[in-house]
Amino acid sequence: MRMKKFINEPTNLVAELLEGMVLAFPDKVQLSARNIVARAVPKESGKVRLVTLGGSGHEPGLSGFVGQGMLDYSVAGDIFAAPGAPRCLEGIRSACAGGASALLIVLNHAGDVLSGNIAMEMALREGCKIKMMITHEDIAGGPNVEDRRGLVGFFPVYKVAGAAAEQGASLDACLEIAERMERSMRSLAVAVNTATHPATGQPIFELGDDEMEIGMGQHGEAGTGRMQLKSADETAEIMLNMLLDDLRASSGEEILVLINGAGATTLMELLIVFRRVAQILAAKKIKLTRSAVGEFITTQEQAGFQMLIARMDPELIELWDAPADAPFFVRR
Amino acid sequence: MTDLIGRAELGDMFAQAAACIRSEHHHLTELDSIGGDGDHGTTMLRAAEQIERGIEESSTASLTDLLRAVGWKVLGVDGGASSALLGTFFAGMGDVELRQDAMNCHDLARAFQAGLRAMSRQTKAGPGDKTMMDALVPAVAAVTAAAAVGKSIPEALDDAALAAQLGAEATKDLVARYGRARSLGERTRGYPDAGATSVALLFRGFSAGLRREL
Repeated sequence: MRMKKFINEPTNLVAELLEGMVLAFPDKVQLSARNIVARAVPKESGKVRLVTLGGSGHEPGLSGFVGQGMLDYSVAGDIFAAPGAPRCLEGIRSACAGGASALLIVLNHAGDVLSGNIAMEMALREGCKIKMMITHEDIAGGPNVEDRRGLVGFFPVYKVAGAAAEQGASLDACLEIAERMERSMRSLAVAVNTATHPATGQPIFELGDDEMEIGMGQHGEAGTGRMQLKSADETAEIMLNMLLDDLRASSGEEILVLINGAGATTLMELLIVFRRVAQILAAKKIKLTRSAVGEFITTQEQAGFQMLIARMDPELIELWDAPADAPFFVRR
Repeated sequence: MTDLIGRAELGDMFAQAAACIRSEHHHLTELDSIGGDGDHGTTMLRAAEQIERGIEESSTASLTDLLRAVGWKVLGVDGGASSALLGTFFAGMGDVELRQDAMNCHDLARAFQAGLRAMSRQTKAGPGDKTMMDALVPAVAAVTAAAAVGKSIPEALDDAALAAQLGAEATKDLVARYGRARSLGERTRGYPDAGATSVALLFRGFSAGLRREL
């Protein structure tokens, strides 16, 4: 099928989408360098900066969460591709300007981690006060945590670490919060329809009309659970049980649930799935303490969703509830 | 000893390597569409452009500065793991002590080894994992072996090009264990790895670049 997208020159996609974002939210974000999104009003000096990096084509992730209470800098790569190390270094330098400390948050994807590591090596050599942490909460990667990819889990991590940084926490304290959130969460994705790579016009994977795949990665990386398409309730149940097992969650605990639409799955569907998740948790006497439903990271018109659960403690809940003001996430 | 190469020859090696990538980038994209997301050819084409730019902008640089400049340029391609690793390899080659303006076969072997070490700090992939390493490790070993028996640089690079090509072809029988292709597992068997194929093209170019010169 021919690609039907409202785009212009395929090589300009990232520059144009970021131009649109800063024009739409001029009081929140600006471009500090080529394809690096920064806050319109920089954070007060003395507070820790949060930096992230990652491919584009996943809007509103990741740059849509630059703003008060969340990120300070987002280094945007090309479509589905990590930004190169030199630009990551540029983002780190901006964040660490004037002796500020910064936390670099990287989603576990080979290219992103590589660029992050190479940039970190250079930044530390230059004397930047920067630490890096990796999110890898997708349980489809298997038991070894290094094999687990970073899906929508970046969002709670930006949220709680960003809130801690805004409140004046030290770099070590922000890192501790980010890592605690990271250890407490698990996610899993399901896909029913492919996305088109907007630069090449090619589908990024093939899936039969009557099939779905549990465990599929952000870019259509194959999972292990290709199966007959199931109802919302059945799918929610399979996925939630896998997540609860992996997290070893038991009754009496407080759990956050986040349902993230992949791009073409409607809010209607996401809400129907969420409803079933809430029912199952209630039946298991697990407390649904906080929730979020919507699009946080997408892959073009891919159909499917990501389900994330996280075990919350009082401090994480307080930071989750703290104010935020980014283009695509506002909490008063 | 006539067996020295200078800045011009090193530039020719890289220019020819870039040319080999240019002429084959469609094939690389086809290979990557099987195991990855089909962007490898485009990434490598951009890497080739940056290699050319790196040579151009370092016309008066020392050999190590030329290598670092080429590496840093390739690192700047926002192309995911392949350009990051390749850039790390080239920049890492510049981390050895070299004479300002000339190197012999032993120096070249040391530079390649340093590039490989820099890469190994960033990836755990090794031969057998169906990655660039399957072509790169034998190519570097071939240069090292050639230097040890007193071969000239062109001879060493011929050996390396052959070793890289054989290494890349052998990835056909392997199952991907790294990168985006890993998750496809058995489905990647039967096709050579795009990254390893790129490395073989680069070494073919290195060898051709000096052949034209001598």
